Amino acid sequence: MNSAISVRHLTKDFRIGIRGLKLRAVDDLSLEIPRGQVYGLLGPNGCGKSTTLKVVLGLVSATAGEISILGEPSATSAARRRTGFLPEAPYFHKFLTGRELVRYCAQLSGVAASDLDAAVEDALGLAAMKEAAGRPIGTYSKGMLQRIGFAQAVVHDPELIILDEPTAGVDPVGSASIGRMIHAMRDKGKTVVLCSHLLGQVEQVCDRVAIMDRGKLVLEGAVEDVLSRRDRHVMTIEAMTPAARTAAEAALEAHGAKITSVTHPRRSLEDLFRELVTGSRDA
Amino acid sequence: MKDSLRRTLWISRVTFLEAVRQRFFAFLLVLSAAMVLSSVSLRVFDFGHGELKFIADFGFGGMFFFGSVLAVVMTAQLFFSEIDNKTALTLLAKPLSRPEFLLGKFFGAWAVLGVFVLVLASLQGVVLWAREQELIAAAEQAGRIPTTFSIVGLCQLVLLQWLRLGVVIAIVLAISSLARTFLFTVVVGSLAVVAGQLQWIAQDAFLRPTDSPAYAAFLWISTRLIPNLQQFNLADALVLGSSAVEEGALIAVCLSGLAYLVAYLTLGSLIFRQREI
Ligand SMILES: Nc1ncnc2c1ncn2[C@@H]1O[C@H](COP(=O)(O)OP(=O)(O)O)[C@@H](O)[C@H]1O
Ligand SMILES: [Mg+2]
Repeated sequence: MNSAISVRHLTKDFRIGIRGLKLRAVDDLSLEIPRGQVYGLLGPNGCGKSTTLKVVLGLVSATAGEISILGEPSATSAARRRTGFLPEAPYFHKFLTGRELVRYCAQLSGVAASDLDAAVEDALGLAAMKEAAGRPIGTYSKGMLQRIGFAQAVVHDPELIILDEPTAGVDPVGSASIGRMIHAMRDKGKTVVLCSHLLGQVEQVCDRVAIMDRGKLVLEGAVEDVLSRRDRHVMTIEAMTPAARTAAEAALEAHGAKITSVTHPRRSLEDLFRELVTGSRDA
Repeated sequence: MKDSLRRTLWISRVTFLEAVRQRFFAFLLVLSAAMVLSSVSLRVFDFGHGELKFIADFGFGGMFFFGSVLAVVMTAQLFFSEIDNKTALTLLAKPLSRPEFLLGKFFGAWAVLGVFVLVLASLQGVVLWAREQELIAAAEQAGRIPTTFSIVGLCQLVLLQWLRLGVVIAIVLAISSLARTFLFTVVVGSLAVVAGQLQWIAQDAFLRPTDSPAYAAFLWISTRLIPNLQQFNLADALVLGSSAVEEGALIAVCLSGLAYLVAYLTLGSLIFRQREI
């Protein structure tokens, strides 16, 4: 089966200024993004993530290299019909309401007139934007903008969903709900590609990641493989007494195992925040 | 083909909505309407042909001037608001081609100017008609032949003005597709309108014999590149019947306008295709 996105030796140079100085944004990048997974493209600001996605979508042209999405060259409208895209820091037409925007996007994406209303309401429901859908987009908060952006990206039921920094500037509660939307998409068998520099969130959401630096790929693999240290183990123990600890240490040592550290587990500040704060007002 | 038309139509619908929900449009419309209406109070009381001509000149002058401002500034604004706010990124990632996007912008802006021209011309018609009635009454008392204006001519003129503004929009879109900034587009677009107004001078010069082939080539190119926008100004002839306008001449003006319109839109689409969003 072919990949959802296949990028082969992609290089992208931007010309800046009148003298045409070259800036290499993406440097000989090769990626195979499998279908049916959540794939994270990570890296610091300016490392070329957005540029890569734009080239994949045919919004900017590649300087060198080949790209296909869903088995078709990226520039074809057939490929784009099966793809949904949420751009970085999305700003939508402020004078439209959320519902009008999603409807407009559905029409442009080729949703048939008979399915239009149902598709729009489904997408709004999925993004938890039904309540605010009648308000002009100019009045939305950042989290709502991302969610309406998500709704417009999935309204035509695409196979591949590309999200550029879907959680940038969104609070942890909002990010968690975007994470749930992403998983809902994967459970429907869709491929989701997202790029981000917020690593903690990516870890929870993605199945597979690629890390870029200065336009080059530095690491690629399944999150499990990349992160787990298979030679180390962590146990979480309740009601531990000093005596129990000595006994356990002795028992482990008898088998040649060595305890290198004993600590109290910590929850992340983000988990704590999510436990305390039930939801923002616009959720 | 049908899908393509539909997508173009949706883009133009939203473009139209955006434009009419802006204050700039309302402001210019009110300003020009005020100008048309004020011609009533500024009229010269000579109870003759000169008076209707004054009203017509004043009103159509305003329609022409503010229409051009609207066509240049609003079209550039509608284009760059999509580019600068990155909404074009969202739209063009969909199965929407660049020419469809540009054509959508064109028809949206053209529809707005259609509303503009129609509203102003209706007002103009009412003002002309009201004054005409007074003049007819006065002429009967004095036993003179009254001056009148032609409704059909007014309708023809509205279409001509609309076409002329369509040519301006097409030129501005062609400039936009190449330009980086809104300001540059407005400046160059305005220059293009002025050049179009003065094009007949180059055309006249071209008809005179010259020794310099370079000068002749320059004139030839500029008379082809720049449409003659003056040729649409037939207000006196059409509305007041100051001189007869042959049907053939009218059709020739329309065809030349349409040809420029199509040529500039094609050029704009070709340039916009290459643009990195
Ligand atoms: N249109 C453009 N013109 C010139 N340089 C650009 C353009 N878009 C991006 N760049 C440059 O390319 C590099 C990569 O940008 P980008 O892909 O947006 O990074 P990321 O999304 O990873 O933060 C940056 O150095 C940026 O300045
Ligand atoms: Mg980016």
